[in-house]
Amino acid sequence: MVTLYKKIGTHSIEFNIDQHQIVEFIENSFFDLHDKKSKTDLNIKIALGYGTPFVDYKVNISEENGKVIFKRSDYLIQAEHSYSSVNIFVNNELALKHALMNLYSAYIVYHNWGLLIHSSCAIQDGEAHIFAGESGAGKSTVARLSQPRELLSDEATLVKITPDKITIINSPFRSELTEIGSSEIAPLKSIQILHQSIINKRDTLKKADALVDLIDKVFYWAHTPEETKNIIGLMRLLVERVPTYNLYFKKDETFWELIS
Amino acid sequence: MVEYIRKSTFETVHFDGEVIILNTDNYTLTKLNETGGFCWSLLNESQSVESLRESIFRHFETENNNVQGDIEVFLEGLLECDLIKVID
Repeated sequence: MVTLYKKIGTHSIEFNIDQHQIVEFIENSFFDLHDKKSKTDLNIKIALGYGTPFVDYKVNISEENGKVIFKRSDYLIQAEHSYSSVNIFVNNELALKHALMNLYSAYIVYHNWGLLIHSSCAIQDGEAHIFAGESGAGKSTVARLSQPRELLSDEATLVKITPDKITIINSPFRSELTEIGSSEIAPLKSIQILHQSIINKRDTLKKADALVDLIDKVFYWAHTPEETKNIIGLMRLLVERVPTYNLYFKKDETFWELIS
Repeated sequence: MVEYIRKSTFETVHFDGEVIILNTDNYTLTKLNETGGFCWSLLNESQSVESLRESIFRHFETENNNVQGDIEVFLEGLLECDLIKVID
């Protein structure tokens, strides 16, 4: 058994792993935890050998013996109620990556810390801009076109939400653009809902419409009444504090003229 | 006279007069405009089409004859979203 200490967002994680290939994946995917506290926020045990390779994104959420269970064809997550102690069983590396996104998303909603949003995020003049959309709407295209601006995410943005401020934290959940930026944190200035188009155009969304559009871009939560309440509260703070726009963009970097 | 009342499993958010209701049983979102939001606020107590119509007339100082049809469609919508129930 190998133990690794890592960091996701502002949380400390202890990973306990049996298999060598998983150790390598965790080593390469997450930042090291330098200031190891006596007790970590999350304690995660990982084992291979579960289920079948990826079939679809459907996750079954249930409760058994006081544990929250997230089940997909290629992964199984068993979490204690506060998520402090978690067992993950996976089929392969892709399953592990998705399982960890699922777990962390549920964890930060449970603790009312923030949201993991299906989107990319780039920094301009020290401020973060989110680009959200359905699959295929252009999140990673926008991320690529935004370089050399620093990217804080390319598929899953880590949004820390407090009543005073909304902050984006460098996301370790990357699809392809694996380089890790130097700034780890930036205030959130705007949110764009992406639509591919032949011209560039940006319209302000009403706050109610922004909430409706954004809530299905949140990755996972445990669907208990308490957590649904948390999601609604976090989303309300987000759209109240940060303007949301429909961004119609053509596939070059000129859309940035509408943003800064 | 048929009367309606809110179910209890929902969360609401208010923005600039509009109301969003999340049904916490089936996770559907319903967005209401100002008049809809006003009716929703009244439905914490039992209401009929007629009582809602009278309240709308008083609150918005209008005498629009189409209101009755709008209220019926509105209540049907809320029933479909499982946000209100008919009182027996």
